[in-house]
Amino acid sequence: MDTPIVKLPPVITHQQTEKLRKKFKALFDKKQFSPSVEFDFQEVEQMDSAGAIFIQNLRSDLEKNNVEVLWTNLSPAIERTLKLFKRPLPPVFKSEKKNFFEKIGETGYNLSKYFAESILLFSNIGYWSFLGFFRPGLRRKGDVVNQGVLIGVNALPIVALIAFLIGFILALQSAAQLRQFGANIYVADLIAIAMVSEMGPLITAILVAGRSGSAITAEIATMKVSEEIDALTVMGVDPVPYLIVPKLYAIIITLPLLTVFANIIGITGGAVIGVTYLDINFVAFFKEVFTVLRYKEIFTGLIKSLSFSIIILLTATYFGFRVKGGAEGVGRVTTASVVASIFFVIVADSILGLIFYFGESAF
Amino acid sequence: MNEPIIEVQHLISGYDEHVVLNDISFDVVPGEIMVVLGTSGCGKTTLLKHLIGLLQPFSGSITLLGHDLLRLNEAESIKLMRHIGVLFQNGALLNSITVAENVAIPLEQHTNLTTELIRDLVYLKLELVGLKSAAPLLPSELSGGMRKRAALARAIALDPKILFADEPAAGLDPVTAASLDQLLLKLRDLLGMTLVVVTHEVGSIKRIADRVLFLHEGKALFFGKLSDALKSDLEPVRNFFNP
Repeated sequence: MDTPIVKLPPVITHQQTEKLRKKFKALFDKKQFSPSVEFDFQEVEQMDSAGAIFIQNLRSDLEKNNVEVLWTNLSPAIERTLKLFKRPLPPVFKSEKKNFFEKIGETGYNLSKYFAESILLFSNIGYWSFLGFFRPGLRRKGDVVNQGVLIGVNALPIVALIAFLIGFILALQSAAQLRQFGANIYVADLIAIAMVSEMGPLITAILVAGRSGSAITAEIATMKVSEEIDALTVMGVDPVPYLIVPKLYAIIITLPLLTVFANIIGITGGAVIGVTYLDINFVAFFKEVFTVLRYKEIFTGLIKSLSFSIIILLTATYFGFRVKGGAEGVGRVTTASVVASIFFVIVADSILGLIFYFGESAF
Repeated sequence: MNEPIIEVQHLISGYDEHVVLNDISFDVVPGEIMVVLGTSGCGKTTLLKHLIGLLQPFSGSITLLGHDLLRLNEAESIKLMRHIGVLFQNGALLNSITVAENVAIPLEQHTNLTTELIRDLVYLKLELVGLKSAAPLLPSELSGGMRKRAALARAIALDPKILFADEPAAGLDPVTAASLDQLLLKLRDLLGMTLVVVTHEVGSIKRIADRVLFLHEGKALFFGKLSDALKSDLEPVRNFFNP
C-alpha cells in the first residue's frame, strides 16, 4: 500500500491551525489503517509556535496509533522552528487537596486568630480612646471636627431624604389599615414609635456604615498598603490614638445626632401623609406624637445608635488593618467591611430590641 | 530585508497646549533592538504610547508593518495589534486570574485554537521565559522579576513581530534586570522579533541596544548606532552616559 502524502499549506500560524486541524481530522478518519503518512513541507514558508506545536502533536497522536510519520523537504528555517518550539511537558504541581478535618481545623484556627486579633485591636482602641480623651496631643490636630464634618454633616442630605421617604411610606402603608377602623390618629403613634425606637437608628446606621464605614476601611487599608502606618509607628506616633480615636469620637457624637435628625424628618414625612391623606390636623398629629413618646423610646433609640456607632467604627478599623496585598486587597476588605458592619448592626439591633422589650419592667 | 518595520515621520504631539514631542522622525529595521532613552519626563513613554496606538498625535505619521497607524479603523487596528506585543512597566497582569490564564488571554481572544493547544502554547511560552512552575500562581504571589517575565510571556503569546517594552528594568535589582535583558536578547534571536525598548538604565542600554534614539526636551537629539552614541560630543548625551 502506498504511503499517502499530505501537502502542507504555505502558512501555518495561529489563524490557520484550526482550519488545518478540521481538514486533517476528516482526512485521518478515512485513512485510519494506513501504516505510514508522509508530510510534505515543500510549500511551507511561514510557521509560528502554534503551527509547530500543532504539527508535533499531530505526529505524536499518529504514532500512538502505530502510524509511521515522515517529514520531508524541510527547509532549515522550518526545521529550526520545529526544534525551538518543542511541545512542553505539562508541569507537575503538588496537589494540595485538604481533607475534611484539615479544612475544619484550618477554619477553626483562622476564626480564633481573627478573634484574637480583633480583641487585641479593640482593647487597644478602648484603652487609647479613654486615655486620648485626657491627652488631646496624641490625636491629629483638628481631626475630631474634621471627621465629624465628613461622617455627620456631609451625610445630612442623604439621611434627610431617606428618613423622609421611610416615614412617608410607613405612614402610607399603615394608613390604609388603620383607616378601616377609623383609627386615623394612631398613624401618628405608629410613626413616632417606629421611627424613634427602630427605623431611625437602623436606617441612619446602615447609611453611615455604607458611607463612612467603607471610607474609614479604605483609608486605613490604603495607608497600611502604602506603608504609611509603618512610617507613623517608626516616627513614634501610635496610629491608634492618632488616626482611629478621632474617628471614634466623631462617629460617637455624630451618629446619635444624625439619628435624632432622622427621627424628626421621618415623623414629618409621616405627618405629610397624615395631613394630606388622612385629614388629621397638623397640630393634632404632633400633639399625639409627643403624648405617645416616652423617655423609654427615646432612650432605646439613642442607646441603639450609640452602640451602632461603635460597631461601625470597630468593624471598619478591623477590616482596614486586615488588608493584604496591594490595591485589589483594599477593594476586597472594603466590601467585606461594609457587609460585616451592616450584618453586625442588624444583629445588635435585634439583641438590643429584645433586651428593651423584655426588660421593660426594669424601667 | 532592510525595509523598515516601523517608520515615524515628523511626529508632533502633547497634552492640551503643552507640546511633549516636537518633530520626531526615526525608523526601525526588522530584527534590531531600538532603545528610546533620555532623562525622566523627556517624552519616552509618550512616544511609546503613540507607537502602540494609545495616544493620537497632533501631526506626523506612524507606519507599522506597512500600515499607516493613524488611518486604520478599529477592526484593522485590532488585526494589527495581533502582531504587536507590549510589556508594560509594572507587568499589567490581571490580578484576579492565574499566570497561565493571563498568558492565555490573547490566544483565547484572537484565535480559535483548541483548549489543549492553547494549554500547550501557554506552557511553551512560560517555559521560554523560565516560569513554567509559576503557572498556577496568582500575580500577587510573584516577585517583581517574575511578574515581568510572566508579562513577557503574555506579550509574546501570539508570536508578535514587534515587541514594545516600557522600562523593563525599572524596579528590579541589577542581577534580575540583567537576566531580563538576556531574556529579551534570547527572544529576539530565537523568534526573530524586533524590539523597541524604552529605558533610562545605562547598563541595560549597553547590553541590549543596536541603535538608540536619544530624546531631549521633546526633540530627537541623537539617532544612530549605540557605539556612536557613546562617542557623541553632544553634551546631554555625554552627561547621560557619563554622569
